[in-house]
Amino acid sequence: MRPYIAFVKKEWLEALRTYKVFIFAVVFALLGIMNPITAKVTPQLLETFMPEGMQITLPEPTALDSWAQFYKNVGQMGLIVLVILFSTLISHEITKGTLINILTKGLKRSTVIYGKLTLSILLWTASFVLCFGLTDIYTRYFWDVSILHHAYFAGGCLWLFGVFLISVTLLGGILFSNSYGSLLTTLLVFIVLMILGIFEPIAKFNPTWLATQNLNLVQGNLSPDRLIPAILSTIMVIVLLNVISVIAFNRKAI
Amino acid sequence: MLALEIQQLHKSFGSNKVIDGLNLVVPENSIYGLLGQNGAGKTTTMKMTLGLLKIDRGTIKVFGENVHYGQTPTNQHIGFLPDVPEFYGYMKPQEYLELCGRITGIPEPLLKPRIQELLALVGLENAKKRIGGYSRGMKQRLGIAQAMINEPKLLICDEPTSALDPIGRKEILDILLKLKGKTTVIFSTHILSDVERICDHIGVLSGGKLALEGNLSEIKENGRTDIIEIEFTSKEQLSQFRELDATKAYFSSDNTSKLSVEGSRLYIETESVKSTQLHVLKILAEAELVPNRIELLEPTLENLFMEVVK
Amino acid sequence: MNEISQLKEYLPFLIPVVILELALAITALVHVLKHPNYKFGNKILWIIVVLFVQIIGPVVYFLFGRGDE
Repeated sequence: MRPYIAFVKKEWLEALRTYKVFIFAVVFALLGIMNPITAKVTPQLLETFMPEGMQITLPEPTALDSWAQFYKNVGQMGLIVLVILFSTLISHEITKGTLINILTKGLKRSTVIYGKLTLSILLWTASFVLCFGLTDIYTRYFWDVSILHHAYFAGGCLWLFGVFLISVTLLGGILFSNSYGSLLTTLLVFIVLMILGIFEPIAKFNPTWLATQNLNLVQGNLSPDRLIPAILSTIMVIVLLNVISVIAFNRKAI
Repeated sequence: MLALEIQQLHKSFGSNKVIDGLNLVVPENSIYGLLGQNGAGKTTTMKMTLGLLKIDRGTIKVFGENVHYGQTPTNQHIGFLPDVPEFYGYMKPQEYLELCGRITGIPEPLLKPRIQELLALVGLENAKKRIGGYSRGMKQRLGIAQAMINEPKLLICDEPTSALDPIGRKEILDILLKLKGKTTVIFSTHILSDVERICDHIGVLSGGKLALEGNLSEIKENGRTDIIEIEFTSKEQLSQFRELDATKAYFSSDNTSKLSVEGSRLYIETESVKSTQLHVLKILAEAELVPNRIELLEPTLENLFMEVVK
Repeated sequence: MNEISQLKEYLPFLIPVVILELALAITALVHVLKHPNYKFGNKILWIIVVLFVQIIGPVVYFLFGRGDE
């Protein structure tokens, strides 16, 4: 247990001193604030730029528009930042050789994987909560939120998808030992999942549902239990990915 | 007790046989110099000893325990200094050693004093900056500190001096010398003077096995050919000496000696150094010949090395 | 009149956004000046990028431009 804690501490120090924590905090805080502001301002901007004499009545923005922005921005920009920041998570250590010293000290290779997973999931969780919380607070401040359905459940789904992406990125880093391999693996997995999403019978098990159906949930068009298969399959895939990561890392010559 | 015992070790990378039936023993408390040209397989052997590389065939035992690939319990006896140790540049030496100490399981109350002791040993007690800005020599010294954190019975250093300037090299060798008697040290190098300075045992790796091994002073003793070198002032003086009746008489009666000439230098290879030397001196004195220099040639490690890796 | 009341309405947004953007830009600027070794580019390029490309500039610097310590 003590080596694990020491290693997680090291990961925290690394994230802090290489500015990862800072970037996460600022980017996700900005995203969180920008979501409601974009929803609020967009119609007014459109009006301003409308040619003289043209009359279009734009519907007044609602809390739904704010959350639409959230799932658009965090579901794209947020996840991209997440994957880029974690693409160097293990590949960098393998290429630089920084693990040699501590592995020859008897640190278990699996502890390296668990430690890295722990900190990256914690960092993602904190950033996600920060972003979600800010959007939530501002949305409540401006609009009536009684029209929303399952807001927290929808958010939780996107969070779980983030954990899935972290696991894929980590495995990619172990398999290819460089950050580009890590990024490409994640991109490839994402594309394959999107293609698989076309096939109706298996679509409901597809992890990408957790990142694409959120707005439908909030609008009340989709009931939460329709997402249960995707949640269960994603959790299973995450566990499987991490087991493969540990096995692959154990067999790797360093 | 043997610190390290390697038996019939084989390792190939593709079709390239790097280690081919290597047998190697390192006695406890020795400083063992593993010599070899670049690419002779020194690093490969060390990495296999640490379980970082798979063994094709053969066994490696550390203090009698077998080494396994991957997670190996034998590593708890070993401290390892890679040729270019890589650290987390954003950490300070103290923080890095704390991490290492907690990984190896040093109890918390003992950790701080142990780190102070090590930083003092390697001369980094005042280094408070992040490791990222350190010179190679400082990193190498910190490398020794991290390798020694768990008080290993065996310290393995891969080319610890190769990348350093003369001052850095001397510092590292002095630190290793301080460990003599407390820890068994194996270090690889291609710098022969480093070996002569601190090692008591050597092994020369060539063609995937040891071409020469043993106690350094014994090797030098066995390698001694007993050659007397006489440097005359001129070639004329040399031939004058060789034409003397006494010279001719002595060397015709002693058929074990061999003479050879190189410029104004005469080499006498003999089995009885003392008496030959005495006779030569007598002859020289009687003929009133004064050469520049008379000396017994020591076998150099370089000669021995060149001979076995040929 | 309308403009001012609108501005007032957005103040709770604008203040934190401006603070965060400034914090990001200044932190990056300090780092650019203090650590003059970069993976690519030079000091002047990074100063411009960090100060004038909002949000993305500093993030790109920390992710890709920052040299090893």
